[in-house]
Amino acid sequence: MAIGFATKDRGGRRRNLLELVVMAVTAALFVLFAIGIEGFATPGNLGVVLSNSASLVILSCGMAVVIVSRGLELALIAEMVAGATTFSILINAGVGGPEALLLAVGAMALVGCANAWLIAYVEIPAMLATLASAMFVTGLVRYAVLGGEFLLLLPKSNPAVVLLSGDILPGVPAPVALMVAALVATGFLLRYSAAGRTIYAMGDNFQAARLGGLPVRTTTIVVYVFAALMALFAGLVTAAASGTVDFRTVTNGSLLFEVILVVVLGGIPLRGGRGGVRNIIVGVALIAVLRNGMTLMNVTTQMQDVIKGFVLIIAIVLDNYLNPRDTETDTAGDL
Amino acid sequence: MTPILELRNGTKEYRGVPAVKDVTFTLHRGEVHALVGENGAGKSTLTKMLAGVVTPTAGEVLLDGRATVLSTPAEALRHGIAMVYQETSLVPSLTVAQNLYLADKRFFHRLRGIYIAGQQFLQSLNFDVDPMALVSSLGAGQKQMVEIARAVHHNANVIIFDEPTATLTPEEKHQFFSLVDRLRARGVSIIFISHALEEALAIADRITVMRDGEHVVSDEAARFDRESIVRAMVGRSLSDELYGARARRSPREAREKVLSVQNLSMGKAVKNTSFSVFSGQITGVFGLIGSGRTEAAKVVAGVMKRDTFHGGQVRLDGRPVRYRVPRPAVRDGIVYVTEDRKLEGFFETMSIAENIHLSAVAGGRSRSRVISLREMKEIADTWIGALNVRAINGDARVIELSGGNQQKVVVAKALVQKPRLVIFDEPTRGVDVGAIAEIHQLINRLADEGIAVMVISSYLPEVLQLSDRILVCRQGRIVEEFAGDSADEETIMYAAVH
Repeated sequence: MAIGFATKDRGGRRRNLLELVVMAVTAALFVLFAIGIEGFATPGNLGVVLSNSASLVILSCGMAVVIVSRGLELALIAEMVAGATTFSILINAGVGGPEALLLAVGAMALVGCANAWLIAYVEIPAMLATLASAMFVTGLVRYAVLGGEFLLLLPKSNPAVVLLSGDILPGVPAPVALMVAALVATGFLLRYSAAGRTIYAMGDNFQAARLGGLPVRTTTIVVYVFAALMALFAGLVTAAASGTVDFRTVTNGSLLFEVILVVVLGGIPLRGGRGGVRNIIVGVALIAVLRNGMTLMNVTTQMQDVIKGFVLIIAIVLDNYLNPRDTETDTAGDL
Repeated sequence: MTPILELRNGTKEYRGVPAVKDVTFTLHRGEVHALVGENGAGKSTLTKMLAGVVTPTAGEVLLDGRATVLSTPAEALRHGIAMVYQETSLVPSLTVAQNLYLADKRFFHRLRGIYIAGQQFLQSLNFDVDPMALVSSLGAGQKQMVEIARAVHHNANVIIFDEPTATLTPEEKHQFFSLVDRLRARGVSIIFISHALEEALAIADRITVMRDGEHVVSDEAARFDRESIVRAMVGRSLSDELYGARARRSPREAREKVLSVQNLSMGKAVKNTSFSVFSGQITGVFGLIGSGRTEAAKVVAGVMKRDTFHGGQVRLDGRPVRYRVPRPAVRDGIVYVTEDRKLEGFFETMSIAENIHLSAVAGGRSRSRVISLREMKEIADTWIGALNVRAINGDARVIELSGGNQQKVVVAKALVQKPRLVIFDEPTRGVDVGAIAEIHQLINRLADEGIAVMVISSYLPEVLQLSDRILVCRQGRIVEEFAGDSADEETIMYAAVH
């Protein structure tokens, strides 16, 4: 067979070799940093690495589900910021914690539904629909809620700050618990639910899924609502950690880039239909180790961006080399 | 004399499945060489290797006796090899002359210049096509002329035609044959893929027969007749069982009218057509490619939308229905089995079992919201057994199966949804002879069980063999209806082309 490199697992399915390479590189970097950087391999620092990647993991869960269904969610960061703002404003206005969370969940579900409606019913390409909704949502929240400001300061009494900056169990910070919960939820959705099988089917062959009578439209709603909710939780985690909601994370775009980087590096191809929770973990592990190591080495943010961009290109080139595309059997729209 | 083009021991595999196995094919200078064989015999793949569209997995291409690697169609064209496809590769929004000069090396053309040059060039070929006409305004025959002119313009000395006559009217066919003669007179060598054996016998100098990806025989056309070609094509008398001697059974009686379509219109493909399908019998639909049969079926199954205004009516059990997506149609028991299984038939990352089970879920045959592996295995094993899918086990991926077994999986996906009306679109395309018989048996069994079955096919013997009623489709309309036992090939074909 043409795919000589690929290994096979139980079901005779191809294992993604990129995933193995990324795991090996992560391990190598870890060893290198542990030897070369003082204070990297301490329990304290590793705890920080874990806590710091919580919001990235949660966002990546949302993005991964969308990409497996062969969609793209460019409004993820906008939803994250908008969700955190909605929650905090409600708290400031005197609404109770649980009610505020419920309303924020409702608002984000609405945004997710709007995205899905544009994509599944109006049939606008996902990239354009979510790009437009990202602009719309950010602009609306800044105009209507913040009065043009781009920064929202959270008081120390904000329940999100209180809850998410403490430990849920002794030694388990709340963001880490939330991160694990997100991974478990994503795993269940993709692997064991009927909707999850439809998500893979849509990513694999949308025409066949539609023709076979699978609920492609309602599943699109499930996908984008799930992503929006993940964004909301990630937003709360980030807001609690920094004490602010910063709209510049939407406009500078580097977080969105990082999320896509995690998904692609982890081995979830943009053409959809493949990948799972394990891939998210693999992708985040590399980015988290790299980010922490570079920060400890005092690499400037700009230089970090250069390196991350470089890593993405290397990964894509490597993927093309390891899983050569067969132009004769490609389906239209493959990336 | 060295042949102008040769494929020596060529093999082409798609994902490990050979489409062409160790075939040696030679084309002599100035000859017309017909390539015949059943659907899926490997004719197209063989010629694609010669035209640089695909690269052989093993073996080599020899040009004038020298081994040459043709990795792209453009490279083959530089060596003088051009391929003319069934679906033309012209740009519809440009004029004839612009299409002719499209691939020229010059960066910039004066329009007037190419119209004059185009006019002279077309005249020199004796083609009656206006160089200033838009390609989209031309008929199938004229488009083909432009394709051929383009090939000649690029100094092609080998031209490969992939089923050139399939979509042509009789007059256009006649023109095409005289064109082939003129090309031969100019010293052009021609490969000609055809299903129509009489054409091959009439215009070819030599004939090569292929079967199941293997070379069967090559010889002078004069040494063949229709019977000997058919024998070589099918290899055994199985084809006689299948098509030759039709089972002399009386047509099944119609039970209830399940589907009734009135004045259905959809864009340019379906124009004001009406037909009905009854339970307990097989309704065959015959028509040439582009006659609108697939589109009409797809509208019924909710895959495509009919025109918003004056789109006509579709009634299921007398109840008007209008589906925007296939899902409600599937839930109502209408299942469409696609003609292109690779494009829209199955999920290639999933196993046979997952494919079948997911379809059961879609059809509402599995209530649970959480996937049960045990249920999946049960459903899959039942259908793999019932349809005799040959695979190691249900965990094998569909893409690794042969065409016939892939088709059985696609059929299983449809039947697991317990349909009341099944529309088979080209059910045996690219399927090996053995599996064809099994699929035909299955279709007959469905009708016996009282399901309404519609079979769309462009292969006349198949339509004749299966159908209790035959509808003939031409230019977006059902133009004629025959009882299954009263029709013969000539009358049906006559209705389909005139």
